[in-house]
Amino acid sequence: MAATDIAVVGYAQTPSVRKARESEVQLLVPIVSKALERAGLDRREVGFTCAGSCDYLTGGPFAFVSNLEAAGAWPPISESHVEMDGAWALYEAWVRLQHGDIDTALVFGSGKSSPSKPDEMWAQQLDPYYLAPLGVDPASLAGIQARALLDSGKATERDFAEVVVRNRHNAKDNPNAQVSGDSSVDALLAAPYVRAPLRKHDLPPISDGAVAVVLARGDRARALCERPAWIRGLDHRIEVHQPGMRDLTTSTSTTLAARKAGFDGGPLDVIELSSTFSPQELILREALGIDADANVNPSGGALAANPVMATGLIRIVEVAQRIVEGNARRGLAHATGGQLLQHNLVCLMEGD
Amino acid sequence: MSPTGESTSPKENLVMEHLVSLTYSEELTPILERYVDALIDGRIVGHKCPSCGRVYVPGKGYCPICVVPTSEADEVEVGDHGTVTGFTIVTPVAYYGQTETEPFVYASVLLDGSDSNLGGQDIVGVPHDQVRSGMRVRAVWKPKDRRSGSGVSNRGWGSVSSVIDAFEWTGEPDMDRAKYEEHIF
Repeated sequence: MAATDIAVVGYAQTPSVRKARESEVQLLVPIVSKALERAGLDRREVGFTCAGSCDYLTGGPFAFVSNLEAAGAWPPISESHVEMDGAWALYEAWVRLQHGDIDTALVFGSGKSSPSKPDEMWAQQLDPYYLAPLGVDPASLAGIQARALLDSGKATERDFAEVVVRNRHNAKDNPNAQVSGDSSVDALLAAPYVRAPLRKHDLPPISDGAVAVVLARGDRARALCERPAWIRGLDHRIEVHQPGMRDLTTSTSTTLAARKAGFDGGPLDVIELSSTFSPQELILREALGIDADANVNPSGGALAANPVMATGLIRIVEVAQRIVEGNARRGLAHATGGQLLQHNLVCLMEGD
Repeated sequence: MSPTGESTSPKENLVMEHLVSLTYSEELTPILERYVDALIDGRIVGHKCPSCGRVYVPGKGYCPICVVPTSEADEVEVGDHGTVTGFTIVTPVAYYGQTETEPFVYASVLLDGSDSNLGGQDIVGVPHDQVRSGMRVRAVWKPKDRRSGSGVSNRGWGSVSSVIDAFEWTGEPDMDRAKYEEHIF
């Protein structure tokens, strides 16, 4: 069997909200069921299950274990977990499907950022010797990246604001978005800095949410879905951890992942990027060689909803959904992990 | 450096302290809020799965076996008498945060009418060497004015330490093993 014979055949996501009162498992239970229902698959038929979440985010050791209850705790299932965005759980399931002995996989990603103080908590993902003791938060790091981008002459603060205006406008059509609406570039530029040169609107919202995906391969995919979103290529690449040791104005790992995923620069009907800070969309557009008029983030992207650990997998769902519903033929989804686009995944999808 | 290129300075381990304090705050889920209100009132409630009939204390908002949602409509009250299904006697070591100094019981109690154990319960009224699986126990409630929801969190299913001090032996004959062996955790 070919690696290109695996497809997204079912999906569901929760709306992204600032604070969900339900537990993370409660967020997952209905959407896992909905994704399976959409695919017409009984959960007992699922060959492999893989989840992405973060115990630091939840604030409970082994929180990922109870999340698994959303897939059914009995009878025992074949499953795995990544302490990463659900997009990487999808990657593991995609690799597992290529063994050829199973036909279907269930993938989900979930995160509740509301209980933690993200600025305090995310500093702990940095190296423990130099950066974590400084307590440097994601927005401050993103400010350094934004400054580098301005200094390089590749972008202006106006460009950052234009990214925000467009994503928020797009989010108006996305019932799952948390931040949406029409605004003007000039109005945004009048706002004060929160981490110069970034303003509040350049930052993602703090979100709770979850997403689930059903994968199937070959004839099973065709039987389960009228128009499967075939994964034509999937690759992820990582760069050096220390932000001072790479050019923050480019994303060579994204470029490489896209090439390895088979993206040849051909036409894309839809592109969804995990650019959690507005300047990162500009960096990713350049890294992928995307035209200025391309259909980028019709969902509003991560600036409209950022349930960390689900954000990347949601990008894949947003592209897959448009293919399954017949509104797009070929699309590209991007997920990221670590700080400042350190680790990047590219998923290239096509309809029949 | 010595003439052979080896370092002449004494070898020392470089130790760097990095103490991390992370703050999390959240409201109890609506289900746990109702659970706490009932506990303070002296009642123990859970959710009964509309599909398989299993009762979870406290309710989870779903049945992890059937994967169906449960809600207030599925709330049931269970007894405050139960059966010890498993236990260990912990001899505390002085790790950071340990407040116990003497050996204590850490038992799982299956309340009458429930299918899920309350973990980590103290058993009183009998010497430690007489604690056993199958023994019948009842809750020793704190006086009503000393009960609170402080022991219950979204992360620890089933803690009742802020309303129930311990479980004591009822003196009844032990429970037939077949009645609890499917619920030993």
